[in-house]
Amino acid sequence: MTDDRNWVPQSVDVSVPSPARLYDYMLGGAHNFAVDRQMGAKIEHLMPHARSAARINRKFLGRAVRFMVDAGVRQFLDIGSGIPTVANVHEVAQAVAPECRVVYVDRDPVAVAHSELILAGNDRAAVLQADMRDPDSILNAGEVGRLLDFDQPIGLLMLFMVHWVPTEDDPWGLMKHYREALPSGSYLAITHLANDHDNEGVRAAATRLSQVGGEQAIERGKDEIAAFFGEFELVEPGLVRYAEWRSSGPGDISDDPTVNEIAYGSVGRKP
Amino acid sequence: MPNPSRIPDASPPPDDNARARLTLARTWSYRLLSTVAIPMGSKDLDVELSGRLDALCAMLHEEPFTTAVVEQAGADLARLGHLGRDGLKCTAEVLGKGLLALPEFQPVERYAERVVLAMGALGAGFTAANTESVLTQQEVMQRSLLKAVRDANWNLRESEARFNEVVTSSTNGVLIVDLEGRLLRTNAATGDILGYAQEELVGVPLLDLIAPGFAEMLHNAMAELVDGAVERVSQSQRMVRKDGEVAQLTLTASLLRGADDAPAHFVVVVEDGTELALLQGELKRQSLHDVLTGLPNRQFFTTQLEIALRNADSEHGVTIFHLDLDAFGMVCNGFDGRVAERLLQHVTQRLEVLLAGEKAMIARLGGDEFGVLIENAAATPSIGVIMKSINDDLLEPAYVDGRGLAASVSAGVVHRPDPDWEPSEVLRAAERVLRKAKKGRRGQWELFHAGQDAEDRRNDAVAVEMPGAWENGEIVVRYRPVVRLGDGEIGGVEAVLHWDRPGAGPLEHDVCLELAEATGLILPLGEWLLRVAAGQSAWWRQRGQFDQPLVVRLTAHQSADADLVSRVVGALEETGLPSDRLMVSMPSRALPMADAADDFTVLDRIGVLTAIDDFGLGPRDLAWLSELPVRSVLVPPDLTRSQDARFAVLVPAVHESGVRICVDGVETADQAKWWTEEGADLAIGAHLGAPLDAGDFLKKI
Repeated sequence: MTDDRNWVPQSVDVSVPSPARLYDYMLGGAHNFAVDRQMGAKIEHLMPHARSAARINRKFLGRAVRFMVDAGVRQFLDIGSGIPTVANVHEVAQAVAPECRVVYVDRDPVAVAHSELILAGNDRAAVLQADMRDPDSILNAGEVGRLLDFDQPIGLLMLFMVHWVPTEDDPWGLMKHYREALPSGSYLAITHLANDHDNEGVRAAATRLSQVGGEQAIERGKDEIAAFFGEFELVEPGLVRYAEWRSSGPGDISDDPTVNEIAYGSVGRKP
Repeated sequence: MPNPSRIPDASPPPDDNARARLTLARTWSYRLLSTVAIPMGSKDLDVELSGRLDALCAMLHEEPFTTAVVEQAGADLARLGHLGRDGLKCTAEVLGKGLLALPEFQPVERYAERVVLAMGALGAGFTAANTESVLTQQEVMQRSLLKAVRDANWNLRESEARFNEVVTSSTNGVLIVDLEGRLLRTNAATGDILGYAQEELVGVPLLDLIAPGFAEMLHNAMAELVDGAVERVSQSQRMVRKDGEVAQLTLTASLLRGADDAPAHFVVVVEDGTELALLQGELKRQSLHDVLTGLPNRQFFTTQLEIALRNADSEHGVTIFHLDLDAFGMVCNGFDGRVAERLLQHVTQRLEVLLAGEKAMIARLGGDEFGVLIENAAATPSIGVIMKSINDDLLEPAYVDGRGLAASVSAGVVHRPDPDWEPSEVLRAAERVLRKAKKGRRGQWELFHAGQDAEDRRNDAVAVEMPGAWENGEIVVRYRPVVRLGDGEIGGVEAVLHWDRPGAGPLEHDVCLELAEATGLILPLGEWLLRVAAGQSAWWRQRGQFDQPLVVRLTAHQSADADLVSRVVGALEETGLPSDRLMVSMPSRALPMADAADDFTVLDRIGVLTAIDDFGLGPRDLAWLSELPVRSVLVPPDLTRSQDARFAVLVPAVHESGVRICVDGVETADQAKWWTEEGADLAIGAHLGAPLDAGDFLKKI
């Protein structure tokens, strides 16, 4: 029997907050459950500018996607896409170039089910339930094969994602695996928690999240994060604070500098 | 609605106004972008908000001033993105101060009231739209959750595991209770609520856990569930904890049905928190879906069918397929149950793929039966094309545990049923034609015809009466002459059945045979006919009244009967009729079956005269003449009536094989003459003598 749904599903447990739904809450969405909102409120308490951080990361996404579309990329793989509501990849990309094709990947079954509902009728966007730590399950998935042409440049987005991979799981090897799968001319966008900021709220919030069954976010240094791009050539202005990467307007940067410095972000191009 | 005093025209220069508005709009845009996630760049948002500000200012100048339009503007604003509380707060701050600072709204005291009213209306409209958006998002999330649960369930192998998925994630107590009211399983939350270890609760009658005086109410409710009077009952209850304390809880009980729709067990949810509504939704889904395939079950299908029948598009209508997996029993017997389950899942998946282009609902009606409801559209393929695509696809072997299994399905199809029909009638009709399609064949389909169905039903009713009628002596044996065409003399006698139905018209031989053949009654009834007729024939012969051969025609069923030879020999021995005074015929289509041809030869060896019935233009008909010891062939009435020249040219070939030709169903002198000229030897039919009882037959000859 051919069955592309052979994966064993992660349990659907709405008594545990989900990162995807938390992120939506932080963006002001209502695609979340009470347990997510309670956790969100706790995090906001520990980290008063948490909403700004989510918003700025989403702004980074918009700039990165527009940059890639301007560079000629017409296909995107967004790993850790969460709930694709406001200003997501297919909206941004297809607004500029309607022929753009997008595959979203998330681990949360509810986020995936939601994405399927949202994307029903969009034959150039699809969603896949998979774990980023299993790159072959993503790269060989039916949705990816159907929508993405690996002979043409692909825009790979991993925003606020790689810091969930513990160092013992070798995130550099993992990213190398992804980079090698991409054809020349492809782009990779990463935002990742930094370890050289003074925002203690972020650390308190990360600890809190890990205590309720979530995973521990790992802060990393600039060099360590740069190594995720490997041989990819970083486009201007290189690896910088995520708020400052090609920022162009008021919403891109927070008024609170401690929010702007919590993460690094950049876009690299495969030679 | 308050209507502030009319405001005199005292407009400042338009350029100043425009500049001031632009500045205000930019401030507003900047503040919003720094506060909330809006899917727009700052330039676009500047332009957007500038337009909205112009519109708002125009509303403030409008005479008379009304707040309704401002409220609408507030609602429109909410649709920009997830502005939420923060977006409203920032908007109110920017505009509340900024509007009153615009040169066009000077002096302030003239406009203050309008601006305040406008800000209130803007907030009200915004909040209403925002609330609606939140509710919509929440509803989408609920649907996503259910979808996620369902998607997950489809992929788990064991139905137990599927159920556990929902149950264990619940903070409510969930009890699986058998139909006698004993707890089969509970989840951990139940143990927490009642203070028992999970295993202590197994086998405990549920009612024993209920506080005195409250058990009867629950008992009655569960009885109602079994009766089907209600789908779900929810009641405030008191349960006794292990430590003797009484806990006040809400119990919600529903009845889960198995794939065959029969009550399987109760599910009782002990409410402890907020997830009840969610869980109930899931339970309802499970009660309407088959756990193995994830498809809707018969109950759900019936409901959907009812809706579809009512709303059927008058041009194209709906089509209902009742599909049945051929030879599924062999799969079940040949392999373990898991293989059969996987095969069902495979068929489910293929049906879903094949029908993906149609507005179709696929359901598992039970066992190996599926229901398909298609709401036809202009592009919907014909039924034949759909069935062919299904069977072509399923004939590709599916690999289940390393075994390649190919399947085929048969179908009963009801196309565009009368919209007044009840769903149960439609399903019944589909099932009836399915039975017809399956008769001895595989991979076939049959379309329902209203008239045909009514007749089939009448026939079935009559067939069911038949054994009783036979016992009561309503069925008798009659005799009709077999006439030699050459000289008009009687060359034999055929024994036939005749059923005098009280209160209804008599049924002739052919009809009797068909009915008896359908029910299997033909084996005893046919043997009886043979014995009675052989006895009669022997009696005539003993008394020297009539000594021509007796003809008894066998049906297909009789021809394939393993005991045929012993039944014939038994009849001859019992009656003393010499074997060469009996002629039996078998229908040509029966000869390839089982031992029919062998038995035919054996009958010839013991001296019985053998004949092939329904002899005509079949591909092997002539071949049998050289392969089997045939004395005569019987030409069926339709061929006799047609006076078909193509057959007539075969007459010499038949004669060459030493076989005599008897034409059946001769109704007119004309037919008799034509066949005489073509060389037929014998004839039977209304023109030559109707069936009579033994006494009248003898008198007549």
